[in-house]
Amino acid sequence: MRAEELVIDPVALEIFRSAMTAVAEEMGASLARSSYSPNIKERLDFSCALFDHTGRMVAQAAHIPAHLGSMPDSVATAIQQFPDFAPGDTVVLNDPFLGGNHLPDITMVSPIFVDLDGEQRLVGFAANRAHHADVGGMSPGSMPIATEIYQEGIIIPPIKLWERGELNRAAMALILRNVRTPEERRGDLAAQLAANRTGIRRVQELVSRYGLAQFRALCDALIAYAERITRATIAGIPDGVYRFTDYLDDDGVSEQPVPITATVTVQGSEMVVDFTGSAPERPGSINAVETVTKSAVYYVVRCLMPEDAPMNHGAFVPVRVIAPAGTVVNARPPRPVAGGNVETSQRIVDVVFGSLAQALPDVIPAASQGTMNNLTAGGIDPRSGRPFAYYETMGGGMGARPGLDGISGVHVHMSNTMNTPVEAFEYAYPMRITRYQLRDGSGGAGAARGGNGLIREILFLTESDVTLLTERRRLAPWGLHGGEPGSPGENVLQRASGETVRLRGKHRFTAQPGDRLTIHTPGGGGWGAAPASGR
Amino acid sequence: MRIVGVDTGGTFTDFVLFEDGRVRVHKVLSTPTDPARAILQGLADLGIDRTVDVVVHGSTVATNAVLEHKGARTGLITTAGFRDVLEIGRQNRPKLYDLRQQKPPPLVPRELRLEVTERLDERGGVLVPLDQESVRAAIDRLQQAGVESVAVCLLFSFANPEHERIVAEAAERAGFFVSASHVVLPEFREYERTSTVALNAYVGPLMARYLSRLEQSLPRQTTVRIMQSNGGTISAATAGREAARTLLSGPAAGVVGAAYVAEASGFRRVISFDMGGTSTDVSLIDGAPTQTTEGKIGPYPMRLPMLDIHTVGAGGGSIAWFDAGGALRVGPLSTGADPGPAAYGRGGSEPTVSDANVVLGRLVPDAFLGGTMRLDAERARLAVRKIAERLGSSAEAAALGIVQIANANMEAAIRVISVERGYDPRDFTLVAFGGAGPLHACELAERLRIPRVLVPTTPGVLSALGMLATDIVKDYARTVMLRPDGRLEQIEPAFGALEERAMSELSAEGIAPGAIRLERFLDLRYVGQSYELTVPFEGSVASTVAAFHQVHERRYGYADEEEPVEVVNVRLRATGLISKPALERQPEPSPWRPEPSEKRPVTFEQAGEPMTCTAALYQRDRLGPGAVIAGPAIVTQYDTTTVLPPGWAARVDAVGNLIAERDTTGRESDDAR
Repeated sequence: MRAEELVIDPVALEIFRSAMTAVAEEMGASLARSSYSPNIKERLDFSCALFDHTGRMVAQAAHIPAHLGSMPDSVATAIQQFPDFAPGDTVVLNDPFLGGNHLPDITMVSPIFVDLDGEQRLVGFAANRAHHADVGGMSPGSMPIATEIYQEGIIIPPIKLWERGELNRAAMALILRNVRTPEERRGDLAAQLAANRTGIRRVQELVSRYGLAQFRALCDALIAYAERITRATIAGIPDGVYRFTDYLDDDGVSEQPVPITATVTVQGSEMVVDFTGSAPERPGSINAVETVTKSAVYYVVRCLMPEDAPMNHGAFVPVRVIAPAGTVVNARPPRPVAGGNVETSQRIVDVVFGSLAQALPDVIPAASQGTMNNLTAGGIDPRSGRPFAYYETMGGGMGARPGLDGISGVHVHMSNTMNTPVEAFEYAYPMRITRYQLRDGSGGAGAARGGNGLIREILFLTESDVTLLTERRRLAPWGLHGGEPGSPGENVLQRASGETVRLRGKHRFTAQPGDRLTIHTPGGGGWGAAPASGR
Repeated sequence: MRIVGVDTGGTFTDFVLFEDGRVRVHKVLSTPTDPARAILQGLADLGIDRTVDVVVHGSTVATNAVLEHKGARTGLITTAGFRDVLEIGRQNRPKLYDLRQQKPPPLVPRELRLEVTERLDERGGVLVPLDQESVRAAIDRLQQAGVESVAVCLLFSFANPEHERIVAEAAERAGFFVSASHVVLPEFREYERTSTVALNAYVGPLMARYLSRLEQSLPRQTTVRIMQSNGGTISAATAGREAARTLLSGPAAGVVGAAYVAEASGFRRVISFDMGGTSTDVSLIDGAPTQTTEGKIGPYPMRLPMLDIHTVGAGGGSIAWFDAGGALRVGPLSTGADPGPAAYGRGGSEPTVSDANVVLGRLVPDAFLGGTMRLDAERARLAVRKIAERLGSSAEAAALGIVQIANANMEAAIRVISVERGYDPRDFTLVAFGGAGPLHACELAERLRIPRVLVPTTPGVLSALGMLATDIVKDYARTVMLRPDGRLEQIEPAFGALEERAMSELSAEGIAPGAIRLERFLDLRYVGQSYELTVPFEGSVASTVAAFHQVHERRYGYADEEEPVEVVNVRLRATGLISKPALERQPEPSPWRPEPSEKRPVTFEQAGEPMTCTAALYQRDRLGPGAVIAGPAIVTQYDTTTVLPPGWAARVDAVGNLIAERDTTGRESDDAR
């Protein structure tokens, strides 16, 4: 029987949806609990997803929007590179130009086989991606201000790190020799593999419950279902062409602002988002690969969909993204891309929302902080004599919504990672946090106020190599309909000598013991003109 | 000896009285404005208001205060620079994609969060001495603001409580109800600790007042014990000081009750399944109920040990609907108790899980709530037909779909607490209770390949029954953060200090030293990991670490014995053993086949299609020990209905529990089809 001949009714569809989502969630629970990197466990900087045998995403556990569009590209690349899969294989990759998004995000793809009458049949793939705290390169934490991708860390093209269940020890040794904290990496990679194994086991159980033909038909039905929801969502947006331009402060090499332009065309139940007119790719590391740009667009569309709509291949079918090669939204090798995933992705969201605000004035919020405020630091911990690599991102102000203030001190849009608790931080690193509070008055005024940013102040106890990769330090998050912009962020270094310097948004420096770095994150924009009395 | 369990719920206050080896059950309507009134009423109805010896009580006073934001006006004193920790939380937004989302308001508003100048390092060393002037200023401000209760949480106070103790004492002298983090939860991670202490301060004064009122209205010789979220009880005085420990006491008592009745039937590995009108609670019992320290009360983290109960928004009142993509969905919206499902005839017209059960013939209109409330089968059918029209199916097929989707949601919930934690459901017995649990239990068990379903005699008052089966339990913990490369000898003093505190507090609860059981645990993790696993202490750190590798392997699928392991927390569980009532037991009942009171058409699924067959109807109170029945059958009782599908058989055992299993004799009831 051919799969499409099986009729899937709304009851079977819902039961299958619940089952597949549970599998992806269980993979996530396994990865979060057994990983080493605070990034993965404390901050949930990872994603898990399941794919059908042709590489179409069927279910994803919602963790990080930045991974929405790019997980499918990882699986597609793995399939392309390896036409022959065997049970026990696992492909690992982080190459942004071959299915990755930036180097710290390491993806693992494992084929799922079932034994049918003695024959191993490929039924799908389990995949997960996790942000590792360090993958080598020119600065600890691997989020440097670079001019070439080779400076950003070890590049792992798609390779079978496990082949028929056997670890490729040479490849593993090569990877671990190129990172600053190899024990931690080994633990995280083991956790990632365990997560895929969980996914494989559960999908095998589902196939044995449903039978292969029915399983495939259900995957098709789930994908068609997500497509229907996306189409219904887009159909609710007035037809038209909407355009918006916004800027990154700079690329960290020159001081030149970097324009990004989106032209959104809505017609019926389909949408085209065209980035023609955006800046050419830059020497600095704010370049985004195409997959990151797609993720940002999918994120915006997802926000307009019902809360628990499924995320899979079908959800992306009615949305076309045009990102001209060689621009900052579709960079080519060997451009550095570390910041494209975390910073440029936020600006892409801003321009797509900015365009849609013209079509949906009562729905779209003002600009949020528009950055993740990336901070990395590394050196030798004098307490243990061992190297440390710290990476963290910081929340800020959410843009005001129609009739609703923005939330203060939260991650916005493409990230939702948790902070590192002060008490966990000081056990783990030779640094202290001396202040952590909301940044009063930083949200833009308006009928609804933008959320306030945060202030996080760090005292260095040992010589540390520090990198800041931050945005919206010069160009403020915009308000809408008469709302005021939010305050731009500030990075201030107070030297142990007493001297105070205001640092650039993207900056690398050596901190001395006693130096104090204060990050003020941006506030969100206001929505609507403030009443005369002021808000 | 007269001992009574009293469970105050939103609608009913349940009583289970144990007296001279016999159990009596009673229910009265709750009196939310003053819950003690319903308690006194119920005790009077039972004729024990002057003579009861022990009242074991679980109440929703504290929980409701949190959920309805009606706690005491509370202030917070914390380390300078960190007053916003309570509001920032972990900086993540509650939902990824919701443009209209809001964060729950912090329990203590910003103007009541005050800072004192002081700072400790991660080993408890003083970096900045406590500035007494800043303490006085903070307390003055809170007095001016009319605060009743004060939470104190300073950074690293678990490593050195000195500063926090000084602040707390000053606040106590100023007349506040005070809750200090080194007393309530001496564990690292400042946001979760602050949240837990703030919760305790927020509900403490209300709870203390309520309990002292209740104690005063009871006879002087009556002992009152209060149910905690960890499945044990504490004295009313302790419960007033540590009210956060009682926040999930109702559901916890249900789990203890499930473990208790199952054990009486000889089953020690149990999954409890409590399905009510709007939500379903599931929990795993492997000899003893599973604990967690990662709970939440509403949106607020609460890190004190509690039973690991997983709740999903699926119950009898859950509404079926079609989403934008055309899938049939059940819940999370619910009709609640008012207007309730369409079948209640109180104006509800949305199709619910209960309506589907009426259409399938599984809920018997005349037998609902012992016949005190008649269900309207016609309205139920009308509601379900809305779904059937869109499906192009019969009302029965639609109803079956609704029930199957609800079952799929509950299956996912049970998988979270079993399969995800490394347990195989096939090794467990499903204990079904709550108004809707036994309706769904057998089909759910079939999906999960759970071999057996147990329906207790009194499934509607299992929480009150569980309260009779509790010990006095107190949990203690402290973060030590010891690397394996040294200072492991600090484990003993850390345990010693906790044990000293435990012995003195349990003596204060009136427990003789001989009846106190102490259990030690370590929270361990591989160096570099950021979450820990709790492992029983095996006499030495080395052997506990060996056990940790095994637990890690089971839970996460791998372990590495080469990797160094660190000790994050020491934990102690102190149990004051209390003698528990034994359920009445019939000696060796011989099997007998009861006559059904009637027969009725009931719909089940066969090969994907609805199949209506004739099922036997039994009344539970006529099924004494030894009774054996075969599916398809329906067993009705006052507060629940048990469905026995075709291919299942059930017997009533020596303690009255109904035990349903797949009929392995391969013989279906004569009445099938």
